[in-house]
Amino acid sequence: MSEDNVVIRLENVSKTFTIRDKVSGNLLKKSWAFASGGNKRRIEAVKNINLEVKKGEFLGIVGANGCGKSTLIHLMTGVYKPDKGGTASIDGTYIRLSLGLGFNGQLTARENIYLNGSVMGVKISELNKNFRKIIEFAELQKFVNTKLKYFSRGMRARLAFAVAVHAEADIILMDEFFGGVGDERFKARSDEIFQKAFVNGRTIVHVSHNMRTIKQYADRVVLLHEGECRGIGSPDEILDLYRETIKVRRLSMREE
Amino acid sequence: MAQGLAARIYTIIPENNRIERIWLLAKTDFNIQYSSNALGVIWAFVYPLMRILIYYVVFSFVFAKDIPNYGFYIFSGIMIWMYFQESTKGGLKVMRSKRYLLENIRFNKLDVYYASILTNLIGFLVNISVFLAMMIITGLPITWKLIYYPIFIINLMMLCLGLSLILSTINVYLKDISQLWELVLLLMFWINPIFFAKQKIFNMFPALLYANPLAGIIINSRDVIMYGKDPDWFLVGYNYVLAGSILAIGVWSFNKFFHKAIEKI
Repeated sequence: MSEDNVVIRLENVSKTFTIRDKVSGNLLKKSWAFASGGNKRRIEAVKNINLEVKKGEFLGIVGANGCGKSTLIHLMTGVYKPDKGGTASIDGTYIRLSLGLGFNGQLTARENIYLNGSVMGVKISELNKNFRKIIEFAELQKFVNTKLKYFSRGMRARLAFAVAVHAEADIILMDEFFGGVGDERFKARSDEIFQKAFVNGRTIVHVSHNMRTIKQYADRVVLLHEGECRGIGSPDEILDLYRETIKVRRLSMREE
Repeated sequence: MAQGLAARIYTIIPENNRIERIWLLAKTDFNIQYSSNALGVIWAFVYPLMRILIYYVVFSFVFAKDIPNYGFYIFSGIMIWMYFQESTKGGLKVMRSKRYLLENIRFNKLDVYYASILTNLIGFLVNISVFLAMMIITGLPITWKLIYYPIFIINLMMLCLGLSLILSTINVYLKDISQLWELVLLLMFWINPIFFAKQKIFNMFPALLYANPLAGIIINSRDVIMYGKDPDWFLVGYNYVLAGSILAIGVWSFNKFFHKAIEKI
């Protein structure tokens, strides 16, 4: 742990993807495009971000679709490497929660709990102890031995969240995780967890369109716009700014 | 007694749960392979035995039994071969099949590769036990030279781990590698002394003995388990160097390309 309690540090982080578009046409056209690189495009997903997240902090990330939020999460976890000149570091165990990912559909809820927990570094003896708590938290008592492929999105989300909370990951990164899932009751309980997380010194990075959660819990919010950081600050400030950028964008789209 | 031993093992394991985790990953994969079938794990026993039976019937026709105990000859080669084939084919897909873990959780990414190598070891060990049981039943002598056998298992695992790392990295960039690898496997199947007497191949093409990393393992392991002979120590050393180099290239390429690769999956 670094001396100033910073668990995620991004310095001059940019991320450029080089992608190849699919070439339609005959083989000659295709091979020419392959050789010349004519179908190559560079996409700057994230541009020059400087950011520090402190231990126990709740950081919200907002921005329009395609503004680089998910890429930023991947850069934080170190799964993506930043472009030259930038450094990203993360300190502690983490789990990234996003919809539809994170579990193997061929495995049952029980197997997924053990596998994910173990990969996160929890001993099996610990998991045995916490198993019922996890199942009860996710309210999946009737589906312990059901394969995940039969689960609804909401059920998966509940399970993933329950595992993340009980496996005691230091850092939980949520990528639009609650987008449209979970009923009011589950939301109320996840709110409870958000509050507890502060007590336990858990760090949460939350990418969301749900302004209510961000407003209520985030200590700081980052506004991304087309890969750039438009502002970091208190939820109220940034959410106002966000609404403005959306308005401007709508206007400019109308003019086009 | 067993409890005390378990407790002692636990104190040797560092505070993290790495070994436990690798084992759980391997076990889970093994279950996935078989649990969806009606016969379940029984396939792990039946499949290799049926395969060996079929090869035995077919090839004793073709080769008119110029090798004594031909059934055992095939069996001892094919169990090595099946481990090699299954674990490299599985390893090739690891980055895709384990994406849901690699992308979301912090852990040593190499663990999923260790696990994939271990998964097939379970089936391999089953095969070895069946082999030994059949030797006892038919009255073939098992000698103390059998203690050398783990040398070849480790050599084989190193080789498969290295190839898995290389192949799975390539697989991200070039999906065709899975078809290419099938072809390589097909070729290797026929140039290795699995069915043929080793003299037949290597008298014709002596270079093949050294050019392919599996031949030495098959020959030596067969000498040890079936004939009760000492292994050819030079060949053992050579194969270790070869497998070690492939593993080193594998680890290097994985470390170098993993981040790029995961973006492309």
